[in-house]
Amino acid sequence: MRALIAAATGLAVALALVLTITAIGAPPGETSPEPLLTTVPKHP
Amino acid sequence: MRRKAGLVLLAFAVFCAAMSPLLRWYAFPRLAKIPPSQYQEAVLEAKNPTLIDYGTMKAKKVPKVTIVQTLKGNVEASEKIEKSADRDVVVWDALSYVQDSEGKMVSKIPERYIFDAHSQEPVHATGEMVDGDPVKRQGIEFKWPFLTEKRDYEYFDAQARVTRPIHYKGTQNFRGVDVYYFEQTIPWTKVPFPKTMPVKGITPESLAKTGTTRWYTTVRKFWVDPTTGAPVYGEEIQKNELRGGTLLGGRDKVTVFAGHVKMREDYIKHTVDLVKSQRVLVLLLTSYLPWGFLILGALLLALSLWLEARSRGPGAPAPAADNDPEPEPVNA
Repeated sequence: MRALIAAATGLAVALALVLTITAIGAPPGETSPEPLLTTVPKHP
Repeated sequence: MRRKAGLVLLAFAVFCAAMSPLLRWYAFPRLAKIPPSQYQEAVLEAKNPTLIDYGTMKAKKVPKVTIVQTLKGNVEASEKIEKSADRDVVVWDALSYVQDSEGKMVSKIPERYIFDAHSQEPVHATGEMVDGDPVKRQGIEFKWPFLTEKRDYEYFDAQARVTRPIHYKGTQNFRGVDVYYFEQTIPWTKVPFPKTMPVKGITPESLAKTGTTRWYTTVRKFWVDPTTGAPVYGEEIQKNELRGGTLLGGRDKVTVFAGHVKMREDYIKHTVDLVKSQRVLVLLLTSYLPWGFLILGALLLALSLWLEARSRGPGAPAPAADNDPEPEPVNA
Protein backbone atom coordinates (compact mmCIF):
# COMPACT_ATOMS: atom_id res chain seq x y z
CA MET A 1 0.00 0.00 0.00
CA ARG A 2 2.82 2.38 0.93
CA ALA A 3 4.57 1.58 -2.37
CA LEU A 4 1.40 2.45 -4.24
CA ILE A 5 1.15 5.77 -2.43
CA ALA A 6 4.79 6.54 -3.22
CA ALA A 7 4.28 5.73 -6.93
CA ALA A 8 1.10 7.82 -7.08
CA THR A 9 2.92 10.75 -5.45
CA GLY A 10 5.71 10.58 -8.03
CA LEU A 11 3.18 10.46 -10.87
CA ALA A 12 1.13 13.33 -9.45
CA VAL A 13 4.16 15.56 -9.02
CA ALA A 14 5.30 14.84 -12.59
CA LEU A 15 1.85 15.64 -13.98
CA ALA A 16 1.54 18.81 -11.91
CA LEU A 17 5.00 20.00 -12.95
CA VAL A 18 4.48 19.44 -16.67
CA LEU A 19 0.98 20.92 -16.65
CA THR A 20 2.24 24.00 -14.81
CA ILE A 21 5.19 24.52 -17.15
CA THR A 22 3.04 24.20 -20.26
CA ALA A 23 0.30 26.41 -18.80
CA ILE A 24 2.78 29.18 -18.00
CA GLY A 25 4.44 28.97 -21.43
CA ALA A 26 6.78 31.66 -22.67
CA PRO A 27 6.01 35.39 -22.53
CA PRO A 28 5.10 36.84 -25.96
CA GLY A 29 7.60 39.68 -25.73
CA GLU A 30 7.22 42.96 -27.56
CA THR A 31 7.32 43.97 -31.18
CA SER A 32 10.87 44.92 -32.04
CA PRO A 33 11.46 48.66 -32.49
CA GLU A 34 13.89 47.81 -35.30
CA PRO A 35 12.64 48.85 -38.77
CA LEU A 36 12.18 46.73 -41.85
CA LEU A 37 15.51 47.37 -43.54
CA THR A 38 15.94 49.42 -46.69
CA THR A 39 19.71 49.60 -46.39
CA VAL A 40 22.27 46.83 -46.49
CA PRO A 41 23.54 46.06 -42.99
CA LYS A 42 27.32 45.80 -42.70
CA HIS A 43 27.09 42.75 -40.46
CA PRO A 44 24.45 40.61 -38.71
CA MET B 1 14.92 3.29 7.52
CA ARG B 2 15.90 1.22 4.47
CA ARG B 3 12.25 0.68 3.57
CA LYS B 4 11.59 4.41 3.85
CA ALA B 5 14.50 5.18 1.50
CA GLY B 6 13.21 2.56 -0.91
CA LEU B 7 9.79 4.20 -1.01
CA VAL B 8 11.28 7.65 -1.62
CA LEU B 9 13.38 6.22 -4.45
CA LEU B 10 10.29 4.55 -5.88
CA ALA B 11 8.44 7.89 -5.88
CA PHE B 12 11.37 9.52 -7.70
CA ALA B 13 11.58 6.60 -10.14
CA VAL B 14 7.90 6.96 -11.07
CA PHE B 15 8.34 10.76 -11.31
CA CYS B 16 11.22 10.33 -13.75
CA ALA B 17 9.50 7.59 -15.75
CA ALA B 18 6.40 9.78 -16.09
CA MET B 19 8.38 12.90 -17.01
CA SER B 20 9.95 11.16 -19.99
CA PRO B 21 6.82 10.69 -22.17
CA LEU B 22 5.12 13.77 -20.71
CA LEU B 23 7.96 16.02 -21.86
CA ARG B 24 8.22 14.47 -25.30
CA TRP B 25 4.56 14.10 -26.22
CA TYR B 26 2.74 16.62 -24.01
CA ALA B 27 5.11 19.46 -23.20
CA PHE B 28 7.11 19.61 -26.45
CA PRO B 29 4.15 20.15 -28.84
CA ARG B 30 2.88 22.90 -26.55
CA LEU B 31 6.16 24.60 -25.70
CA ALA B 32 7.91 24.45 -29.07
CA LYS B 33 6.73 27.52 -30.91
CA ILE B 34 8.00 30.50 -32.83
CA PRO B 35 8.07 33.52 -30.52
CA PRO B 36 5.71 36.22 -31.84
CA SER B 37 8.29 38.95 -31.23
CA GLN B 38 11.06 37.53 -33.42
CA TYR B 39 13.11 39.95 -35.51
CA GLN B 40 15.46 38.61 -38.11
CA GLU B 41 17.33 39.92 -41.10
CA ALA B 42 19.23 38.22 -43.89
CA VAL B 43 21.35 39.56 -46.69
CA LEU B 44 21.59 37.74 -49.98
CA GLU B 45 23.70 38.65 -52.98
CA ALA B 46 23.78 37.88 -56.68
CA LYS B 47 27.23 38.36 -58.21
CA ASN B 48 27.39 39.57 -61.86
CA PRO B 49 23.67 39.26 -62.53
CA THR B 50 21.78 40.68 -65.48
CA LEU B 51 19.58 43.64 -64.56
CA ILE B 52 17.28 45.83 -66.61
CA ASP B 53 18.01 49.53 -67.00
CA TYR B 54 14.56 51.09 -66.99
CA GLY B 55 15.97 54.24 -68.60
CA THR B 56 16.96 52.43 -71.78
CA MET B 57 14.79 49.36 -71.26
CA LYS B 58 17.85 47.21 -71.96
CA ALA B 59 19.32 44.44 -69.84
CA LYS B 60 22.97 44.69 -68.80
CA LYS B 61 25.45 42.93 -66.59
CA VAL B 62 25.99 44.61 -63.22
CA PRO B 63 28.59 43.77 -60.54
CA LYS B 64 26.12 42.90 -57.81
CA VAL B 65 22.52 42.93 -56.66
CA THR B 66 21.79 42.75 -52.94
CA ILE B 67 18.57 41.53 -51.33
CA VAL B 68 17.89 42.52 -47.74
CA GLN B 69 15.18 40.40 -46.21
CA THR B 70 13.71 41.43 -42.85
CA LEU B 71 11.19 39.49 -40.79
CA LYS B 72 9.57 41.30 -37.90
CA GLY B 73 7.10 39.67 -35.54
CA ASN B 74 4.10 41.89 -34.90
CA VAL B 75 3.02 40.99 -31.35
CA GLU B 76 -0.06 43.26 -31.24
CA ALA B 77 -1.40 41.85 -34.53
CA SER B 78 -0.76 38.25 -33.42
CA GLU B 79 -2.58 38.78 -30.10
CA LYS B 80 -5.54 40.27 -31.96
CA ILE B 81 -5.76 37.29 -34.33
CA GLU B 82 -5.21 34.78 -31.51
CA LYS B 83 -8.46 35.92 -29.88
CA SER B 84 -10.53 34.75 -32.83
CA ALA B 85 -8.27 31.92 -34.04
CA ASP B 86 -8.04 30.35 -30.55
CA ARG B 87 -4.46 29.21 -31.06
CA ASP B 88 -0.95 30.61 -30.88
CA VAL B 89 -0.41 32.75 -33.95
CA VAL B 90 2.65 34.53 -35.31
CA VAL B 91 2.39 37.53 -37.61
CA TRP B 92 5.50 38.31 -39.59
CA ASP B 93 5.75 41.62 -41.40
CA ALA B 94 8.44 41.00 -43.98
CA LEU B 95 10.23 43.17 -46.50
CA SER B 96 12.39 42.05 -49.40
CA TYR B 97 14.38 45.09 -50.39
CA VAL B 98 16.50 44.75 -53.53
CA GLN B 99 19.20 47.22 -54.49
CA ASP B 100 21.82 47.35 -57.22
CA SER B 101 25.57 47.74 -56.79
CA GLU B 102 25.22 51.54 -56.69
CA GLY B 103 22.76 51.34 -53.81
CA LYS B 104 19.71 52.24 -55.91
CA MET B 105 16.45 50.53 -55.11
CA VAL B 106 15.46 47.85 -57.62
CA SER B 107 12.31 46.66 -55.90
CA LYS B 108 10.75 46.33 -52.49
CA ILE B 109 8.08 43.79 -51.72
CA PRO B 110 6.34 43.89 -48.33
CA GLU B 111 4.53 40.82 -47.06
CA ARG B 112 2.40 39.86 -44.10
CA TYR B 113 2.67 36.17 -43.28
CA ILE B 114 0.35 34.77 -40.59
CA PHE B 115 0.90 31.26 -39.32
CA ASP B 116 0.41 28.82 -36.45
CA ALA B 117 3.27 29.26 -33.97
CA HIS B 118 3.56 25.50 -33.37
CA SER B 119 2.92 23.85 -36.73
CA GLN B 120 3.78 26.73 -39.09
CA GLU B 121 0.51 26.07 -40.92
CA PRO B 122 -0.78 29.29 -42.49
CA VAL B 123 -3.58 31.09 -40.67
CA HIS B 124 -5.92 33.16 -42.80
CA ALA B 125 -6.82 36.52 -41.39
CA THR B 126 -7.35 40.06 -42.58
CA GLY B 127 -4.04 41.64 -43.47
CA GLU B 128 -2.42 38.56 -45.01
CA MET B 129 -0.82 39.95 -48.15
CA VAL B 130 2.03 40.12 -50.62
CA ASP B 131 2.95 43.58 -51.92
CA GLY B 132 -0.43 44.91 -50.86
CA ASP B 133 -2.41 42.16 -52.63
CA PRO B 134 -4.54 40.01 -50.31
CA VAL B 135 -3.51 36.35 -50.53
CA LYS B 136 -4.52 33.08 -48.93
CA ARG B 137 -1.33 31.15 -48.51
CA GLN B 138 -1.26 27.38 -48.59
CA GLY B 139 1.81 25.55 -47.38
CA ILE B 140 4.84 26.92 -45.59
CA GLU B 141 7.01 29.97 -46.22
CA PHE B 142 10.41 30.94 -44.80
CA LYS B 143 10.41 28.17 -42.16
CA TRP B 144 9.71 24.45 -41.97
CA PRO B 145 7.89 22.84 -39.01
CA PHE B 146 9.80 21.64 -35.98
CA LEU B 147 11.08 18.07 -36.49
CA THR B 148 11.04 18.42 -40.28
CA GLU B 149 10.40 15.15 -42.08
CA LYS B 150 12.19 13.66 -45.07
CA ARG B 151 9.36 14.41 -47.47
CA ASP B 152 8.10 17.02 -49.90
CA TYR B 153 6.33 20.07 -48.47
CA GLU B 154 4.01 22.61 -50.04
CA TYR B 155 5.84 25.95 -50.25
CA PHE B 156 4.32 29.34 -51.03
CA ASP B 157 6.04 31.42 -53.70
CA ALA B 158 5.44 35.08 -52.92
CA GLN B 159 6.39 36.38 -56.39
CA ALA B 160 4.00 34.12 -58.26
CA ARG B 161 1.52 33.92 -55.34
CA VAL B 162 1.25 30.18 -55.89
CA THR B 163 1.94 27.12 -53.76
CA ARG B 164 4.01 24.35 -55.28
CA PRO B 165 5.82 21.33 -53.80
CA ILE B 166 9.33 21.79 -52.51
CA HIS B 167 11.06 18.45 -52.86
CA TYR B 168 13.23 16.72 -50.28
CA LYS B 169 16.44 15.87 -52.12
CA GLY B 170 18.56 14.24 -49.43
CA THR B 171 20.51 14.81 -46.25
CA GLN B 172 23.75 16.79 -46.27
CA ASN B 173 26.20 18.15 -43.75
CA PHE B 174 26.30 21.93 -43.90
CA ARG B 175 29.04 23.47 -41.75
CA GLY B 176 28.72 20.88 -39.03
CA VAL B 177 24.92 20.65 -39.07
CA ASP B 178 23.10 17.67 -40.61
CA VAL B 179 20.51 19.32 -42.82
CA TYR B 180 17.77 18.32 -45.23
CA TYR B 181 18.17 19.75 -48.71
CA PHE B 182 14.96 20.94 -50.41
CA GLU B 183 14.49 22.22 -53.93
CA GLN B 184 11.55 23.86 -55.65
CA THR B 185 11.20 24.85 -59.28
CA ILE B 186 8.66 27.44 -60.30
CA PRO B 187 8.29 27.24 -64.09
CA TRP B 188 7.83 30.39 -66.17
CA THR B 189 4.80 32.08 -64.65
CA LYS B 190 3.14 35.44 -65.36
CA VAL B 191 3.46 37.55 -62.23
CA PRO B 192 2.24 41.01 -61.20
CA PHE B 193 4.50 44.03 -61.42
CA PRO B 194 5.84 45.22 -58.06
CA LYS B 195 3.78 48.08 -56.64
CA THR B 196 6.95 50.13 -56.09
CA MET B 197 8.97 50.53 -59.26
CA PRO B 198 12.54 51.89 -59.32
CA VAL B 199 11.76 54.72 -61.74
CA LYS B 200 9.41 57.55 -60.83
CA GLY B 201 6.44 57.82 -63.13
CA ILE B 202 6.44 54.11 -63.97
CA THR B 203 3.65 52.34 -62.16
CA PRO B 204 2.18 48.85 -62.49
CA GLU B 205 -0.89 50.48 -64.02
CA SER B 206 1.08 52.42 -66.65
CA LEU B 207 3.02 49.26 -67.53
CA ALA B 208 -0.17 47.24 -67.82
CA LYS B 209 -1.53 49.76 -70.33
CA THR B 210 1.37 49.02 -72.68
CA GLY B 211 0.36 45.37 -72.83
CA THR B 212 3.76 44.30 -71.47
CA THR B 213 3.67 41.48 -68.97
CA ARG B 214 6.18 40.26 -66.39
CA TRP B 215 7.26 36.62 -66.23
CA TYR B 216 9.27 34.80 -63.62
CA THR B 217 10.93 31.46 -63.02
CA THR B 218 13.07 30.29 -60.14
CA VAL B 219 14.86 27.32 -58.69
CA ARG B 220 14.71 27.69 -54.91
CA LYS B 221 17.14 25.76 -52.72
CA PHE B 222 17.02 25.46 -48.95
CA TRP B 223 19.24 23.62 -46.49
CA VAL B 224 17.02 23.05 -43.45
CA ASP B 225 17.95 21.98 -39.94
CA PRO B 226 15.38 19.20 -39.32
CA THR B 227 15.29 19.74 -35.54
CA THR B 228 14.20 23.38 -35.56
CA GLY B 229 12.89 23.48 -39.13
CA ALA B 230 14.95 26.61 -39.72
CA PRO B 231 16.80 27.05 -43.00
CA VAL B 232 20.51 27.47 -42.34
CA TYR B 233 21.23 28.46 -45.93
CA GLY B 234 19.34 29.37 -49.07
CA GLU B 235 20.00 29.98 -52.75
CA GLU B 236 17.83 30.96 -55.67
CA ILE B 237 18.47 30.88 -59.40
CA GLN B 238 15.98 33.43 -60.62
CA LYS B 239 14.98 34.92 -63.95
CA ASN B 240 12.54 37.75 -64.56
CA GLU B 241 11.46 38.94 -68.00
CA LEU B 242 9.21 41.54 -69.57
CA ARG B 243 7.33 40.13 -72.53
CA GLY B 244 5.28 41.63 -75.34
CA GLY B 245 3.46 44.92 -75.47
CA THR B 246 4.55 48.26 -76.83
CA LEU B 247 7.09 48.97 -74.07
CA LEU B 248 9.82 46.76 -75.54
CA GLY B 249 10.10 48.50 -78.89
CA GLY B 250 9.39 45.47 -81.02
CA ARG B 251 11.44 43.03 -78.97
CA ASP B 252 9.74 39.84 -77.74
CA LYS B 253 11.26 39.96 -74.29
CA VAL B 254 13.77 41.76 -72.10
CA THR B 255 15.45 40.35 -69.02
CA VAL B 256 14.55 42.23 -65.85
CA PHE B 257 16.80 40.18 -63.63
CA ALA B 258 18.75 36.96 -64.05
CA GLY B 259 21.11 35.82 -61.37
CA HIS B 260 22.18 33.29 -58.79
CA VAL B 261 21.23 34.65 -55.37
CA LYS B 262 23.19 33.34 -52.38
CA MET B 263 23.23 34.22 -48.70
CA ARG B 264 26.11 36.51 -47.73
CA GLU B 265 28.93 34.73 -45.90
CA ASP B 266 28.61 36.59 -42.58
CA TYR B 267 24.87 35.85 -42.50
CA ILE B 268 25.50 32.17 -43.20
CA LYS B 269 27.76 31.99 -40.16
CA HIS B 270 25.29 33.98 -38.05
CA THR B 271 22.36 31.77 -39.10
CA VAL B 272 24.27 28.53 -38.51
CA ASP B 273 25.29 29.71 -35.01
CA LEU B 274 21.72 30.78 -34.22
CA VAL B 275 20.25 27.49 -35.41
CA LYS B 276 22.88 25.49 -33.50
CA SER B 277 21.90 27.26 -30.25
CA GLN B 278 18.16 26.90 -30.88
CA ARG B 279 18.35 23.21 -31.78
CA VAL B 280 19.76 22.43 -28.32
CA LEU B 281 16.52 23.74 -26.77
CA VAL B 282 14.41 21.55 -29.04
CA LEU B 283 16.65 18.53 -28.46
CA LEU B 284 16.32 19.07 -24.70
CA LEU B 285 12.58 18.45 -24.91
CA THR B 286 12.61 15.80 -27.64
CA SER B 287 15.67 13.78 -26.73
CA TYR B 288 18.04 14.77 -23.92
CA LEU B 289 15.49 15.18 -21.10
CA PRO B 290 13.11 12.33 -22.07
CA TRP B 291 15.96 9.82 -22.42
CA GLY B 292 17.72 11.20 -19.34
CA PHE B 293 14.58 10.90 -17.21
CA LEU B 294 13.87 7.40 -18.56
CA ILE B 295 17.35 6.13 -17.73
CA LEU B 296 17.34 7.85 -14.34
CA GLY B 297 13.89 6.40 -13.61
CA ALA B 298 15.08 2.89 -14.44
CA LEU B 299 18.16 3.30 -12.23
CA LEU B 300 16.13 4.65 -9.31
CA LEU B 301 13.59 1.85 -9.68
CA ALA B 302 16.37 -0.73 -9.65
CA LEU B 303 17.91 0.89 -6.59
CA SER B 304 14.55 1.04 -4.86
CA LEU B 305 13.89 -2.66 -5.56
CA TRP B 306 17.36 -3.58 -4.36
CA LEU B 307 16.82 -1.70 -1.09
CA GLU B 308 13.43 -3.38 -0.66
CA ALA B 309 14.95 -6.81 -1.29
CA ARG B 310 17.73 -6.14 1.23
CA SER B 311 15.27 -4.97 3.84
CA ARG B 312 13.37 -8.27 3.49
CA GLY B 313 16.42 -10.53 3.19
CA PRO B 314 17.90 -12.78 5.92
CA GLY B 315 19.86 -10.83 8.50
CA ALA B 316 17.88 -7.72 7.77
CA PRO B 317 16.64 -5.81 10.79
CA ALA B 318 13.10 -6.67 11.61
CA PRO B 319 10.43 -4.23 10.53
CA ALA B 320 9.77 -1.43 12.97
CA ALA B 321 6.37 -2.82 13.91
CA ASP B 322 8.00 -6.13 14.96
CA ASN B 323 10.43 -4.32 17.23
CA ASP B 324 7.73 -3.51 19.72
CA PRO B 325 8.42 -5.34 22.98
CA GLU B 326 6.38 -8.48 23.42
CA PRO B 327 3.84 -8.11 26.22
CA GLU B 328 5.11 -9.65 29.38
CA PRO B 329 3.13 -12.68 30.49
CA VAL B 330 1.16 -11.88 33.49
CA ASN B 331 1.75 -14.18 36.37
CA ALA B 332 -0.96 -14.77 38.76
